[in-house]
Amino acid sequence: MSAAAVETPAPDDVLAVTEDVWVALLGDDDPLLPRVAPDGAAFDATGPWSAATTVSGGWQGVVTVELDDTAARSLTARMLDLPPGLDAVDGDIADAVGELVNMVGGNIKSLMPGPSVLSLPSVAAGRAAFASDVREASRLDLAWRGSPVRVSVHVPVS
Amino acid sequence: MRAMIIDDSRAMRSILRRIVTDLDFETAEAEHGQAALDQMRAGVVPDVCLVDWNMPVMDGYTFITEVRANPEWRDITLMMVTTESEQRQIVRALAAGAHEYVIKPFTPDAIVDKLALLGLLPEGHGVNA
Amino acid sequence: MTGSTAFASVSALVRRETSMIYDEGKEYLVEARLNPLAAARGLGLEEYVARLAFDAEERRKVIDALTINETSWFRDHTPYQAFTDAMLPPLLNARAPQRRLRIWSAACSSGQEAYSIAMLLDQHLPAGWDYEIVATDISTQMLERVRAGRYSQVEVNRGLPATSLVRYFTRAGRDWEIAERLRERVTVKHLNLAAPYLGLGTFDVIWLRNVLIYFDAATKADILRRMLPMLAPDGYLLLGSSETTLDLPTDLAAAWQREQIGRVPAYRRASALSTTPSVLTSTGA
Repeated sequence: MSAAAVETPAPDDVLAVTEDVWVALLGDDDPLLPRVAPDGAAFDATGPWSAATTVSGGWQGVVTVELDDTAARSLTARMLDLPPGLDAVDGDIADAVGELVNMVGGNIKSLMPGPSVLSLPSVAAGRAAFASDVREASRLDLAWRGSPVRVSVHVPVS
Repeated sequence: MRAMIIDDSRAMRSILRRIVTDLDFETAEAEHGQAALDQMRAGVVPDVCLVDWNMPVMDGYTFITEVRANPEWRDITLMMVTTESEQRQIVRALAAGAHEYVIKPFTPDAIVDKLALLGLLPEGHGVNA
Repeated sequence: MTGSTAFASVSALVRRETSMIYDEGKEYLVEARLNPLAAARGLGLEEYVARLAFDAEERRKVIDALTINETSWFRDHTPYQAFTDAMLPPLLNARAPQRRLRIWSAACSSGQEAYSIAMLLDQHLPAGWDYEIVATDISTQMLERVRAGRYSQVEVNRGLPATSLVRYFTRAGRDWEIAERLRERVTVKHLNLAAPYLGLGTFDVIWLRNVLIYFDAATKADILRRMLPMLAPDGYLLLGSSETTLDLPTDLAAAWQREQIGRVPAYRRASALSTTPSVLTSTGA
């Protein structure tokens, strides 16, 4: 099988899915904005969080969401409805960011050939590291309230 | 009305809890299907379960199958709330005994509308109002 | 909105072309709907509004943007229940010779009302029956959406029973597409409710929900007067849950007879319904 035979999600679809998740969770007051990041550059955030979920079956891929610490904290505070002044702890952030990638990943899975299974999310404090047997199929660099957000999809190198 | 919220994410349980407590529901929570079954066997029997699909220990599909296998629980309304959004998954969940299905991400209105469709909204909470 | 003159000119434009009213106080709404149009042209809002006088294409877009109704599947739920439980049975009796029903979804917006009705008819009409739903709107953009019959995940998540979702829709990329057998029953027509109703035929049920509120009292009365001959003598007219015929001129209020079906007020043609008793009483002496 050639690399071209591996189906990859359309960038427009990845963006639309991500925007839907953001608007549903956070409302449309603070929209996600496009952000320019050089090709091949690692996610350049301070204190990043990364969450990944794997799709396997009719389609194989890894969906990853990366956020900087500020974005991850305010997103978590919004999801948990924390009162102002009360800071999210790391466990809360891992939980919230994990749910975020679950929603993005599940919706991307539904656009690809199936049937496939979605893994439980894995979350790390730190930027995402990718195995050498996958390649980046789609990458979305965005900004939310001035903080960088990256959504990427990796597929197996064939 | 009592709702059991079954989701492995605390953040998601918190979002769902706020939506249904605004509708005057009492709530119980479980982080996977097995924990929910344990509570139900201990006597915490809800009117409606909001159930995620992908969870550790026992997933939502298995949970629905287990609830439907117990005639004592036949009055419990089951609503999937999950990111699984392929048509075949929705068909499977309905065939296993789910009454309704909400796809994540959702807005609070989506949950309210579905509870209304199921006839579970207390007096004073309108449909699509 | 930045300039009250700009608001006044937009509101006059909408009123002239559609008879719909945007009072002062609706500035925020006009601004929210026009900002994206102005931005698409690379103009500020005031510049954009000034340009409308010379640009028919942009005027069309403004009308579209300002006349879109909020809508959802089975909106308010009870009218749909009244439709299947109370209106359909007598209509099925009365139309048995023709085996055909005609429904008008007036101000159909993106078509959720029309397709909700189609789903119910698909379930409740006996075999061998035919139906047509005429969906009209002033927004050509909305009519395109009805024709396409495609809805986003956010839209199908709201108020649509999951059983209907899997029965009547199929996934088409990120969207969900309505079944062909329903779409082919829905006829789409461009229509300004304040203008004459030509070539529509008559209907067994007219859904005129949540649109009269946008018109002034005179236009509203005019619409309800011209709706009379559009409805079959034994048909039903449905208005929005917050709309009533209370402030109508007396002759018109008498022409529409309110019939309460559970919590749903339906309106019927009084002339047709009361003919027999009034003839009987007048032949006394």
